[in-house]
Amino acid sequence: MLEVHDLHASYGKVEVLRGVSLEVGDGEIVGLLGRNGVGKTTTLKAIMGLVRASAGRATFDGVDLTGLAAHKVPAQGIGYVPQGRGIFPNLTVEENLFLGLRQDPSPPQRALVFDRFPQLKDRMDQKGGTLSGGEQQQLAIARCLVMQPKLIILDEPTEGIMPILIKEIRSEIRKINKAGVSILLVEQNLVTAFKICSSIYLMEKGAIVHRSSAADLKTQPDVVHRYLGMAA
Amino acid sequence: MDIVVALAFNGLVWGLIIALIALGLSIIFGLLDIINLAHGDFFMVGTVLTWFVLEATGNYWIAFLIVPLMGFLMGALVERAVIQPIRGTAALSIVATFGLSIIIQEVVRAGFGAAPKRILPPIEGTIPLFGIEYDIYRIFAAAVSIVAIFGFFAFLHRTKLGTWMRAVRFDRDIALAMGVPARTVYMVTFALGFAMAALGGAVAAPITTVDFQTGVDVLPFCFMAVIIGGLGNLPGTVAAAVLLAVTEGIVTSFTDPTVARIVSLCLMSAVLIARPHGIFAGATR
Ligand SMILES: Nc1ncnc2c1ncn2[C@@H]1O[C@H](COP(=O)(O)OP(=O)(O)O)[C@@H](O)[C@H]1O
Ligand SMILES: [Mg+2]
Repeated sequence: MLEVHDLHASYGKVEVLRGVSLEVGDGEIVGLLGRNGVGKTTTLKAIMGLVRASAGRATFDGVDLTGLAAHKVPAQGIGYVPQGRGIFPNLTVEENLFLGLRQDPSPPQRALVFDRFPQLKDRMDQKGGTLSGGEQQQLAIARCLVMQPKLIILDEPTEGIMPILIKEIRSEIRKINKAGVSILLVEQNLVTAFKICSSIYLMEKGAIVHRSSAADLKTQPDVVHRYLGMAA
Repeated sequence: MDIVVALAFNGLVWGLIIALIALGLSIIFGLLDIINLAHGDFFMVGTVLTWFVLEATGNYWIAFLIVPLMGFLMGALVERAVIQPIRGTAALSIVATFGLSIIIQEVVRAGFGAAPKRILPPIEGTIPLFGIEYDIYRIFAAAVSIVAIFGFFAFLHRTKLGTWMRAVRFDRDIALAMGVPARTVYMVTFALGFAMAALGGAVAAPITTVDFQTGVDVLPFCFMAVIIGGLGNLPGTVAAAVLLAVTEGIVTSFTDPTVARIVSLCLMSAVLIARPHGIFAGATR
């Protein structure tokens, strides 16, 4: 459903993406891993139209995303949970949650959120900035689900989250996936990536350098060490 | 004593009108990073349009209703033509809006003339207020400004577009990624800024002179309010505008307007030295 082909992008004169190609199929959970600064976030931003691709393209169900205005990308069925969660601290939880909707949320839309994230229900009038990291992560995910996406892109969802909550986020991602939503997951946390991804891309210096199934990658500690600098 | 009360009231009325105009200046700066040197001229355009509509229809109230709408449309047009091409280059905004200011003034001078004109207040009569007889129209002008200011805050906090404005202001990219049409939000913000200045012009036209140069006087006052209130602090801007105008009104009653303006400027300098983020920094956000 998502196909990224030979994507290039630069910040000013510095070329950060030098031909990224990857695919996310229907119902898959795909991991994108790599050291800090290799261009993972930039790849996601280019897909979302927030960074302009200088060459190559990203298509979603046949629609060319690189030619689309950024604000029209979510309506194609792509949800985005940015690195650092991207909650608006100056908006209430409710305003954050339904930000992308043109109309008031319907009762089923509200029910959908509250069934899955009951904690948010009592906090609707609180400012987003008053939530804990874990709650902000839930809000960021819920905010995507409200738009009924077919694919959710998550940028380091476990970053800065208490270890005991990481498991919860993992099971949350699995649950969303079971409901038929594909996932593209950028992670630093290898355990999480190995546990939930079906296939994994490794990135270095703005390009994909390795692709394999999660199971295969586990048997290649040398590859993991070379590109991620840590033991599998 | 009566003169002090009257000038203090005049200051209050004027301060509320300025607050309305300065709010527009502040949201344009806060959201678009545009230092709008043409903002005073938007106000002036409001007074001049009021004069023209009054000439054409003979009815002030028609002007009162349609001048803000005309301002909104002009604001949308200016945003498309002048502001959008320079987005992302904040320094250019000063040059571009200064040019716009000159164009607006010259167009008005050509179309309306260089001679100042007056509009009679559409409501006549006075009522007793704190021991003086005070113009009913001025009270009406103050009331309109207050309603418009509260209306603006209600818009900002109760409508989707207002929520989008606050979201885009905090983080444009994330707002875009959530589906917020940031470009439209910019355009509406600028148009709204123009509309509020034009409404200020329509309300102020009967108590000031209609002149192609009034914007030049109004602009620094608005900037002082925005700076003293704290850049981007909207309630602070409103409070500072009122505070400044009342202070100037009272000082004027003892000396003259020039001294009053000097007092204001000293006040602003003191605020910038002691509290660079405005007197209300931290109080509201
Ligand atoms: N807004 C920006 N302007 C300039 N350079 C940037 C910007 N954002 C990221 N970079 C640079 O681009 C490279 C890739 O960054 P990023 O995509 O955030 O990496 P990752 O998410 O893999 O850590 C880094 O070298 C980073 O310093
Ligand atoms: Mg990153």
